[in-house]
Amino acid sequence: MIHFDQVSKTFAASQRPAVDRITLHVKQGNICVFVGPSGCGKTTILRMINRLVTPDGGTITIDGRSIMQMDPPALRRTIGYVIQQVGLLPHRTIAQNIALVPELLKWPRDKTEKRVLELIEMMGLDPSEVGHKYPHQLSGGQAQRVGVARALAADPPIMLMDEPFAAVDPIVRLRLQDEFLRLQQTVQKTICFVTHDINEAIKLGDYLVVLKEGRLVQTGTPIEILTQPEDDFVLSLLGDDRGVKILDLTRAETLMEPFENRLGPIKSNGHRVQSIDPVKIALEMMMQKNTDEILVCKGTRPVGILRWPAIKTHVNRISGGTV
Amino acid sequence: MNFDMDLFSQALLQRAPGHIAEHLQLVIIPLVLAILIAMPAGILLTRPAYRHHGRRVMSVFNAGQTIPPLAVIALFFPLLGLGYGPAILALTIYALLPIARNTVAAISAVPAEVKDAARGMGMTPKEILFRVELPLSVPTIMSGVKTAAILTVSTAVLAALVGGKGMGAIIFAGINFFRFELVLAGTIYIGLMAIVLERALSLLEGLLTPAHLKNRHGAHRRAA
Repeated sequence: MIHFDQVSKTFAASQRPAVDRITLHVKQGNICVFVGPSGCGKTTILRMINRLVTPDGGTITIDGRSIMQMDPPALRRTIGYVIQQVGLLPHRTIAQNIALVPELLKWPRDKTEKRVLELIEMMGLDPSEVGHKYPHQLSGGQAQRVGVARALAADPPIMLMDEPFAAVDPIVRLRLQDEFLRLQQTVQKTICFVTHDINEAIKLGDYLVVLKEGRLVQTGTPIEILTQPEDDFVLSLLGDDRGVKILDLTRAETLMEPFENRLGPIKSNGHRVQSIDPVKIALEMMMQKNTDEILVCKGTRPVGILRWPAIKTHVNRISGGTV
Repeated sequence: MNFDMDLFSQALLQRAPGHIAEHLQLVIIPLVLAILIAMPAGILLTRPAYRHHGRRVMSVFNAGQTIPPLAVIALFFPLLGLGYGPAILALTIYALLPIARNTVAAISAVPAEVKDAARGMGMTPKEILFRVELPLSVPTIMSGVKTAAILTVSTAVLAALVGGKGMGAIIFAGINFFRFELVLAGTIYIGLMAIVLERALSLLEGLLTPAHLKNRHGAHRRAA
């Protein structure tokens, strides 16, 4: 879908390149998260996709077509853009803000109006209450939802999101992240997402791109990065609770002892998790119920048993046996 | 000096009203010219290609405004001689400054993230100017226009010194002949014109101001 080939950018005021020969591919329908400390070039990479920043080396293609051949405003109208500060137009109502891109694309008025109502509802807001309000009358969480709705308005295939949830408080952030994942289930966009928060990256990303000082350090799925960190930088970025994070991404069924067509009666203490539940949930239950084993079920059918030593061995192995 | 009530009422009711139209011309023509020059100039100075000239031009504008109005007219007297034209020119130059300065200040104050989002949505520079930057700049630009208008009402009095007529004709006649009654009558009209003009421009401002900036007091506070 989006392909970067040897893309570089050096800003005028700096000696060191902000982005240094990046080659990567973002798959259709994926959430690709660019993660790294400030100054790693993640925002610059994002802003090159909709040509808010012009690369000075390499090529970026969308569906095989170089973006440099497209008219920048026309390109941007096909790419949703969400930023941390939201940037709603203060003199337009919420409905008018969401209608912005459809208006630029000269949609018929009734089509735009219908789309705006649909999006306000999709964001879990009440159109009759919010639609006629101005941005300064919204809470931070509401404003950010409207920012996402505005980006989705013309149904662009690609969304660029630059730390969209960083400015809201932690509780609202978790809720927005969950809503975002649910939304992606229905809209299935190709999303490039920038964050400095590794937990957010692991939670939201299908694919992570770890950056440092403009260079690509490691790419892979969250579990690949967690289990096989490339170097000390990635290891430190992942934090001290890497083992627990892995258990959050590991399904109970992968660590259980399967029952394998066992015929005899199953001895059970009555505590059970679903086979697709993360191991972290099983671990939490073990601590709460003060037990070492949990029954793993598929629906109501028991399929195996998850024991504490199996979890410990797993964490020990991937963490290099030092835990 | 005795206050001659008859002379005063004659000046107030018969002589001065004849100069109102002249004086308003001396205000409105320079003001319109100044808006037509200063607003595009101010806008131009906020465009990326000219932005680096902005500070230099503005410091010239600021320095220009410290020159007393009388000096502006005196400066142009040797160049343009006497009469109505030079008075209009001098007053136009004097009214440029507050309008240009406020235009630059207003457009520069539009939050960067709002412009960035507008650009990222695919608005062209022209669309950003007319649909985002200018609407948000109305209150500040209008306050510059109001300042310029009131300044011009009082400065236009000096036009009489170079033969430009206006209410200044009465006031300077009063000064020359030590007739305080004439000065007072002229001054009253100057004050009235300033008040009426300010009210009219405030009404215009109300019409142009974007809705979210009206009745800010009644607006909801940011919800939690």
